[in-house]
Amino acid sequence: MNWTNETAAVHAQYSSLTGGRSFLHSAAFLCFQKLPRLASRAFSSSARQLKNKVPESQKIFQEDNGLPVHIKGGTGDVLLYRATMTLTIAGTCYSLYWLLIASFPQKKE
Amino acid sequence: MAHQVHAYHMVDPSPWPLTGAVGALLLTSGLAIWMHFHSMTLLTLGLILLLLTMYQWWRDIVREGTFQGHHTPPVQKGLRYGMILFITSEVFFFLGFFWAFYHSSLAPTPELGGCWPPTGITPLDPFEVPLLNTAVLLASGVTVTWAHHSIMQGHRKEAIQSLTLTILLGFYFTFLQAMEYYEAPFTIADGVYGSTFFVATGFHGLHVIIGSTFLAICLLRQVLHHFTSEHHFGFEAAAWYWHFVDVVWLFLYISIYWWGSCLSSVERMPVISAHPVLV
Repeated sequence: MNWTNETAAVHAQYSSLTGGRSFLHSAAFLCFQKLPRLASRAFSSSARQLKNKVPESQKIFQEDNGLPVHIKGGTGDVLLYRATMTLTIAGTCYSLYWLLIASFPQKKE
Repeated sequence: MAHQVHAYHMVDPSPWPLTGAVGALLLTSGLAIWMHFHSMTLLTLGLILLLLTMYQWWRDIVREGTFQGHHTPPVQKGLRYGMILFITSEVFFFLGFFWAFYHSSLAPTPELGGCWPPTGITPLDPFEVPLLNTAVLLASGVTVTWAHHSIMQGHRKEAIQSLTLTILLGFYFTFLQAMEYYEAPFTIADGVYGSTFFVATGFHGLHVIIGSTFLAICLLRQVLHHFTSEHHFGFEAAAWYWHFVDVVWLFLYISIYWWGSCLSSVERMPVISAHPVLV
């Protein structure tokens, strides 16, 4: 069962109520202290299993850096956002251009 | 760092509602410009913008739920209500097309020959490919339920297999329907029969494609360990949508394919008119 995803996500929400250190950091610290060998066999050993990268993502997206979620993932996010906004503004202008053309009477041949 | 003392989700400011609205504007105005001025640029731009918006908006929802833990029980309840209301609105959308079909087929006009199917229309045999399509979708309903139980029981590999099977069945339906469209002896331009048939089944096919895409995203998320045995609402929403698509097909099959292919009793009544003309 993937209790780590659920528990870590929920606990991190309320971590400040218990003090400065987040639960996520405390749990990770304890794990590394007590079970160093087991950590490397934490995922299933069957042939093509993907390692669970959700805890890593949880750490990135819960970092207290004040970034909104749509650019919190890094440079890729910012580039995609800029491309999207460029298309939005350019597209708005282009639609107004066509509105202008469509507003004028067409020459009849 | 300020933390909330309630269980609700106050979302971060997001640009996607704006980009989505502009995308819708470009799609609609682009459609008008394409029809009147034969330029597809605006339309294409709108499509790209809409796809970018959908990708980033839903990506952000996954981040908020799976990575940030914002989808607490009350928030999830709201998401459930939202999905149910959306599906209900889609039910009403299809209701309109069924209304149109029954309006024309229950009282076929003299121009159609006073019968349904109209004179000159060879309907598809409901016991050939349409029946296979029914079996395919019903089977996919079983496999998606199997996938749900697998997720709830923590059987990762089984969940991936049954979800993949569901998606493959969805693709098979789409492929079969595409073949039927190609081989059909009538077109959308063939009077009200063609209109009702292709608009109703066409929108249904579009919803099958949307549902298959939604399930495919869920498959990807399942592979990436996003779902837990207790919390997998994204998958449940996809499964609800898929069952809705299945039910719409059943209504389409019974109404348009089966009942709609039998000669109506009106045909046996004497009709005092000139030679029937296909409108």
